[in-house]
Amino acid sequence: MISIKNLSFSYGSKPVLKNISMDIKGGNIYGLLGENGVGKTTLLTLLCGLKKPLSGTIETDGRAPYDRQPSLLEEQFYLPDEVAPMHSKADAFGRETGRLWKKYDHVKYLNALKDFEIDPFQWMDRMSAGQLKKTWISFALACNARHYFMDEPTNGLDIPSKSQFRSAITKYTAEDAAVVISTHQVRDLEEIIDPIIILDKEDVLLCASLQTISEKLYFDYGSEIHPEALYLERTPGGAIQVYPNTSGEESKVNMEALFNAVHAHKDIVKALFQ
Amino acid sequence: MKNEVFNFQRFWNYFKYDFTQMWRAHVKAAVGIGLMGLIFYFLYNTFHLILSKGDWQGPSLNARLFVFGLAGFALTLYVTRIYGYLTDRRKGSAWLMNPASTFEKWASMLIMTLIVIPCAFLGSSLLVDSVITLADPTVDKSIISSFQNIIKDINENLVSVNNDYMTTWSIGAFTGIGIAAECIELLYFLLCGITFRKYKILGAFGIILGLSFIAPLVVSFMPIGSNAISFDDPAAAEQYFRHIMTTATIIAWAIAACLAGGVFWRLKTLKH
Repeated sequence: MISIKNLSFSYGSKPVLKNISMDIKGGNIYGLLGENGVGKTTLLTLLCGLKKPLSGTIETDGRAPYDRQPSLLEEQFYLPDEVAPMHSKADAFGRETGRLWKKYDHVKYLNALKDFEIDPFQWMDRMSAGQLKKTWISFALACNARHYFMDEPTNGLDIPSKSQFRSAITKYTAEDAAVVISTHQVRDLEEIIDPIIILDKEDVLLCASLQTISEKLYFDYGSEIHPEALYLERTPGGAIQVYPNTSGEESKVNMEALFNAVHAHKDIVKALFQ
Repeated sequence: MKNEVFNFQRFWNYFKYDFTQMWRAHVKAAVGIGLMGLIFYFLYNTFHLILSKGDWQGPSLNARLFVFGLAGFALTLYVTRIYGYLTDRRKGSAWLMNPASTFEKWASMLIMTLIVIPCAFLGSSLLVDSVITLADPTVDKSIISSFQNIIKDINENLVSVNNDYMTTWSIGAFTGIGIAAECIELLYFLLCGITFRKYKILGAFGIILGLSFIAPLVVSFMPIGSNAISFDDPAAAEQYFRHIMTTATIIAWAIAACLAGGVFWRLKTLKH
């Protein structure tokens, strides 16, 4: 489990995260959402130990990520938004780099590459951005880590690859693995992410499972307009409305509508989920 | 309980990984820099053949030593590139997340920079020079054979003591301080390579320039002894020479150790 307590971070005098606390539990794929510049990437880099918290603590199974202890590093994988074009063939890259991760499985890597339709004997520094990303995703999944931090993993992927990514994530990650995916492309991933974390400037607006969200908020896809709706979006067939769930009825969570509702009524939503 | 600082198996795995990356990207380049002597040999002969209208004459030892020194300097500058990618967000963060301790990564880095890369350079350049010397009768001496003579020349110019023990000792002392100086040079450029995000070589020379302004000021405040050393007395001269060499060697290795410590500190505190 990853435990974040009173975490703060700033770039010089500009605060990015302020007094954030939450727990990230294994067996979940967390969707980390937020506007540009609210600190999604910063939070991911803090979680994996690429940055040092200004104050507060992060503990991954009782260890501080910034200490970069090898035993923790081999249990986690950070996939940045822009991945490195290594000067080697995909197959050789997996074989050579994979030996650093104790649980690395080369057959799994080759299978994932095959799923993504990547030639394992292609030079990585001659791949397109999408191919390179898929190679890194395959490698990450073959490392059999327990904690994954993925920054915009579907950026640069074509439409079939996005669906391949969704199936690869569910197929190749261990059941007890904690996956944190930062994304703007909520539609690409709404089938797999649960719970949702919505970051705002210096703050966490929401950290809840889809079950809890649907208990607290109702997503109405009908055409009848509700004046009490926190968010209303007209669609060709009617409207999507989000309002507090007073009837206890369940509804399908629409990520974009949720995000917009949370942003439009921060205080109401925060109070609702406290 | 796992050892989080050093585990031999983990280090070996990391070293193999690092060596493979080095081999693919930089060892070949170091060998290439070492082949500068061969390129110079062919260029020299080509121009000599043209200018002397058919007279074949290989380059002199001094000319080849100059090119060897030039290649060595190029290699030193190249060291800024070897691990320079650590300041790049994409490659640097991937490197930081590799499961090995900072100490293991640092140890592997030092082995690569101070042993593997220089050996690849020295091996290729000296081998090429030796082959040229053997194959071309117009080329007098090889660079390897000249090394001992150079040290002997320095030794004879420094003190007029002409006994074998002294000569052997001096060769050892010069070699020791020479290796320390080379380590300082390589570690300095390595440190600059992993510190400056851009303009790594310019940054390295900028610091040298700054130090060259500060150093004379610092030295001017130091008390300097006025006791004249008499070189007429061979024993006193030897003692003085030994003292100077020992002090210089200790200082040189201390600087090298500080730079190695600086590299470790930089790796430990590197963030992306």
